[in-house]
Amino acid sequence: MNPPAELEVLHILERMPPNASGALVRERADGTMAGALLVERGRVCWAMSERYRLRLTDILVAEQDTLNLGQLNEVFAMCHRDHMPLGETLVARGLVSLPVLHRALLRHTCEALDCLVREDAPWSWIEHSGYGYHPMLTFSPAEVLAGVRAIANPTLAARALKRLRAVVRTGQRGFAVERSSGSKLPLAQVGCEGIDLVAIADLAVQAEEVMAVAATIDIEVALAELGGLACASWAEDNVLFVLLCDGELAFNRLLAQVAAMIIYP
Amino acid sequence: MTRLAEISGQVPDCVVAAWVDTRTGAVRERHVERPATFIDAALEAATEVMRSRERPPRMVLLSARHVHMFHRMAHDPHRVLVVICERSPNIGLAVALVRSFADAEAAAA
Repeated sequence: MNPPAELEVLHILERMPPNASGALVRERADGTMAGALLVERGRVCWAMSERYRLRLTDILVAEQDTLNLGQLNEVFAMCHRDHMPLGETLVARGLVSLPVLHRALLRHTCEALDCLVREDAPWSWIEHSGYGYHPMLTFSPAEVLAGVRAIANPTLAARALKRLRAVVRTGQRGFAVERSSGSKLPLAQVGCEGIDLVAIADLAVQAEEVMAVAATIDIEVALAELGGLACASWAEDNVLFVLLCDGELAFNRLLAQVAAMIIYP
Repeated sequence: MTRLAEISGQVPDCVVAAWVDTRTGAVRERHVERPATFIDAALEAATEVMRSRERPPRMVLLSARHVHMFHRMAHDPHRVLVVICERSPNIGLAVALVRSFADAEAAAA
């Protein structure tokens, strides 16, 4: 049995040299290309897979109902002809907002990557030094992993993201993992772009172990302090939430916040 | 008055203050302010949670009715201070008092 797609993605992301730029390419034995993952300064820019047929323009139209395919195809043709970046051009012309473009690009990248990891072909790394992607339109490994993880369970992921957005305050970070899942990979995240995937998994494992023991005495929320970092964790609806806070009086601020929070069992 | 009696007297609505040994699971000393049936189970859970030294040295656990505060002593990592009080709007004060007590104990060691 093949491992879940998100584990394959994790292994692929771990292969990326830190801060490197280039492409992880999958080439079949017959010489045809199955797809590629483009990386710039350690961030994911784009993924393509022969098996993935949805175009970015289709996703943009689905995301923003004021857009139509005719408008988009016109801009697409112009960008292709004049070697202009599509995303930036769409934003510059006011056709899409940056958050919508960000969301559409992330969805396209994650779904294409989900198809790409299911191919049976070796990976090879092709380095390059040309930079061209707007940093706002590239993604951290944590974002991509959460995006791929969400494909398997979109309803749970959407609910977890909604809850995180409701509780994560300015300057805080948070992520959610599915409790019954063997892997502790994020189902949703807010503000964790800069956190190493291994650190997220370690925090999730620690939080899960504490909550498992604490549940025997009806504990709802666990708070921990490590150095200047405060961490709160709680479980709702088979999802474990972890909220991180640092800076001055981080523990006290987080304590006040979670003490006032309603936990939904 | 023992030091544990002192802290349990200061923390508002304190139920119990205890020193537990995470290596043996034994309760080295306890001062019960308000007898309750869950105390033994709670001290056992505290020992279990703090047993791994990979865990943070300071933890606060909240249930619907109680606040459980755990502090591992840096100089004696198997020794953990456990203070449990009832949950009230004074939660911040209780946590601060227990923290000061644990710091004073560490300094005195």
